[in-house]
Amino acid sequence: MRRLLALSVALLALALAVAGCGGGDDDSGGTATGGTPSGTVRVIMEEVPDTDIVKSLLPEFQKEFPDVDVQVEALPYDQMRDRIVSSFLASDPTYDMIVVDNPWMYDFAKGDFLLPLDDRITAAQDFDHEDFAQPLRDIAEVDGATYGVPFYNYALGLIYRKDLYAQAGLTPPTTLAELKAAAAKLNTGGRAGIAMQPQKGYKIFEEWGNYLFGAGGAIQDADNAVVLDSPEARTALQEYIDIYKASAPKNSLNWAFDESLRAVAGDKAAQMISYNWMLPTLNKADGPAGKLAGKFALAEVPGGKSILGSWSWAIPKNSASPDAAWAFIAWVTSKQHEKERVIAGGAPVRASAMSDPEVWEQGFGEDYYTTVASILEDAAPLADGPNAEEMINVVGEDLNAAVAGQESVDDAISSAASGAQETLDK
Amino acid sequence: MSRPLRALFLVIAVVAVAFPFAWVVLISFKSRVDLNDPSSLSFTPTSANWSEVLHGGVLEAALRSVEVGLATVSVSLVAGTLGAYAISRFKAGGGPARFGILLAQLMPPAVLVVPLFILFFNWNLRDTIWAVIAAHLTFVLPVVTWFMIGFFDAVPRELEEQAMIDGYGRFGAFRRVVLPQVLPGLGAAAIFGFVLSWNDLFYALILAGGNAETLPVAISSYNTFRGVELGAMSAAILVSVVPVLIASFFVQKRLVRGISGGGLKY
Amino acid sequence: MLRRIPIGYRFLTPLAVVFAAVFAYPFVYSLWLSLTNYTITRRNETRFVGIDQYTGLLDNDTYRQALVNTFVFVLLAVSLELLLGLALALCLQRQRWARNVTRAFLLAPMFVTPIAVGLMFRFLLNQQIGVIPEILGTFGLEIDFFGPDLALFSMVAIDVWQWTPFMVLLLLAGLESLPKQPFEAARVDGASRWLTFRSVTLPLLKPVIVVAVLLRALDAFKVFEYVFAITRGGPGTATETIQYQVYRTGIGFFRLGEAAAMAFVLVAVVLTIVVVLFRRLMREAT
Repeated sequence: MRRLLALSVALLALALAVAGCGGGDDDSGGTATGGTPSGTVRVIMEEVPDTDIVKSLLPEFQKEFPDVDVQVEALPYDQMRDRIVSSFLASDPTYDMIVVDNPWMYDFAKGDFLLPLDDRITAAQDFDHEDFAQPLRDIAEVDGATYGVPFYNYALGLIYRKDLYAQAGLTPPTTLAELKAAAAKLNTGGRAGIAMQPQKGYKIFEEWGNYLFGAGGAIQDADNAVVLDSPEARTALQEYIDIYKASAPKNSLNWAFDESLRAVAGDKAAQMISYNWMLPTLNKADGPAGKLAGKFALAEVPGGKSILGSWSWAIPKNSASPDAAWAFIAWVTSKQHEKERVIAGGAPVRASAMSDPEVWEQGFGEDYYTTVASILEDAAPLADGPNAEEMINVVGEDLNAAVAGQESVDDAISSAASGAQETLDK
Repeated sequence: MSRPLRALFLVIAVVAVAFPFAWVVLISFKSRVDLNDPSSLSFTPTSANWSEVLHGGVLEAALRSVEVGLATVSVSLVAGTLGAYAISRFKAGGGPARFGILLAQLMPPAVLVVPLFILFFNWNLRDTIWAVIAAHLTFVLPVVTWFMIGFFDAVPRELEEQAMIDGYGRFGAFRRVVLPQVLPGLGAAAIFGFVLSWNDLFYALILAGGNAETLPVAISSYNTFRGVELGAMSAAILVSVVPVLIASFFVQKRLVRGISGGGLKY
Repeated sequence: MLRRIPIGYRFLTPLAVVFAAVFAYPFVYSLWLSLTNYTITRRNETRFVGIDQYTGLLDNDTYRQALVNTFVFVLLAVSLELLLGLALALCLQRQRWARNVTRAFLLAPMFVTPIAVGLMFRFLLNQQIGVIPEILGTFGLEIDFFGPDLALFSMVAIDVWQWTPFMVLLLLAGLESLPKQPFEAARVDGASRWLTFRSVTLPLLKPVIVVAVLLRALDAFKVFEYVFAITRGGPGTATETIQYQVYRTGIGFFRLGEAAAMAFVLVAVVLTIVVVLFRRLMREAT
């Protein structure tokens, strides 16, 4: 295979050289520090509102960089990684710039698919890298090198109905016990106390991780060793199962994000643990919640530490125009354009944007941004290290089996912990 | 089975098929808010989903899928029918030929797609419908061949012998006598081969996106990280089903007439 | 020169050429992959590991569970589809009123791409917002379609909905291409309908049935989309199937070598079954 690839690379290079089209519109341009970069930047992004917002900023970028042509291909999540990896393997890439989901970061960097960006970040003027929330920067750093710049976060928070909480005389729960009590109290005939997402794999782990943190547990320690096999994890799983059985919609063992959102938006559940940026969506007058818009609020998850997801901008090693790609990344993540992006509805990643009164006013209000800022202060991803995607699936399988009653809480936790460690060691 | 029983059975089958489609029609007219409860009957109909789908490249994707399907099926029908006849009548290639082609049908797309990707990349055919057609041949060709083996096996040998006594050559007997006999099978194979190609998501997704997007890829793109866009997806499903349904109606009709018209002598 | 090649091989040539063109390289390549530890993200560490990937599968509980699930799924789905399909084909063959419309309409489920079928049923069968549980509820029934006990059977039901039409299509075509004389003879002999069906229709139709079952089974072994759209293999390992595992291991976890080995084990097992069964059927026939 490697020989074949090498052969294909060689042949391709030869063909290009002969044809005299050895596409030099990238390397003729500027370097990381000076000159005017030029070239075409083909970027793969996810089909989400945050991408649309970036697209809406493109004309402005074009004015400043007339020689750089950014072409966005937006794809659904499930299709993205296949295409990205295919592009990595090709000597003539499909993409010159990509966005990387946090579970992919380590493997992509270690697989030698991404360009380290440290020098470019240091050289960029007024970039203020420290301004990005620390946990987001950590995700983009692998073995001391930085491979990505934060694009947007998807940390989790508790999204609840203000009106129902007020009616029941409740305040947002700060412990798992309070969450359990609140969910039970709000659980009435037609409306579930809480919508959950216990679907096997990524979804259940993403939700349960918050319970784990809430119970004082952790997934990995400072050296990345798995520390899941703990009494805290057992408590967290037991609480999760209890809440599912008592207050979640019936027969919702295969529910994922979609069903929970529909339930909450459709007045069939009182709250959910979900992505923080779902709050503005739910509160939008023409959003999915219809008449309920405005009745939702965001709080930190019980315990205050939440699961963090994040997308980062990155440049593949085989990018045909790395300098032009970096020009765009530096531009779009700069303080000024971060602010524009966040005001337009993008999920924030910079502290400066989240504490900017102008953003509060033109965006979704001070409460929302300060809550997001405090969520991002203390948040951790599901997995850090090699084979993250698989490790998440391994844990998510045991968790789901425990909720389904196929495994005891005790067995599920020890099997998840040993499975996770084995996967990281592979 | 008596006649009323047969009618009842057919009615139940029609209802079982129609019910999910009725639901799909219903939700294709629902707004985002009404889709929080997809099954409720009280809602204000909207045409937003339909205009989104009709202006969103689904029609182009459908056209591309038709091209891919027709090309795949045409090649498969010619090569598969001749091959099937050889295997069924002359035991050509023996067991290895008969079962060897099944290997392709059995291989998971997730495995085969990687070498195919590299191959098409090297041939500069990535992101073209040619790549998809070639990939679809790996599973449509075996299916069509096996389909036809079954039908040729069912044709009595005497028929050909009779034809050859009547002065036909080998190929003439095949074309004028045997082939009309298996016409319904040929039609069924064409329809099913087309369906397999029409439905494939996996190969099309990895070998050709963007400019060469096929219909399943377009439809699956309504399944997003932020939930399923049920309304638009439903409209797209209907857009994809109705034309094929009409086409299969005519294919079937012709074929039924074909057998009662010709081939009666044998 | 062409004349010297046996007639059978002349007919076989186009098939062999096309097949080799599209399939030979990927097949050999993946066979080779299965003997290495090839991982996309660790290409530099790729080496030949012989049958290690295969022996490794012996200790893989999830893989074994997936094998069992896949076989149960195929067995149930295909038997149900055959029974329903045969019954429907017989009814349709004798139908007079609105026959072409009914036939075309009954094929409709096949024309929906399976991922969309999966998503449709994910919502149709949802306890809180699905219409089917709502209807069942009015009869006082509550079924946990995607719970640990029934999830696999729900997948079977979805498959039956989508693919029984395939059986109908094939068996109906088979029925209509049967020779007329044996039936006339049976009628002259005054055989009952059931007897005619058993002693004339079924034996004549057997080759078509064999092919229908075989093709449907091979396709059913590749069940992936419903699992992907609805349960992701859960609850626990209840709906874990080989295809889904191969996809996750190869494309999801990047371990193409292991994924290829998983695929080849299934291919070997199924092909053995097919050849043995087929040989036996052939022997019975002669």
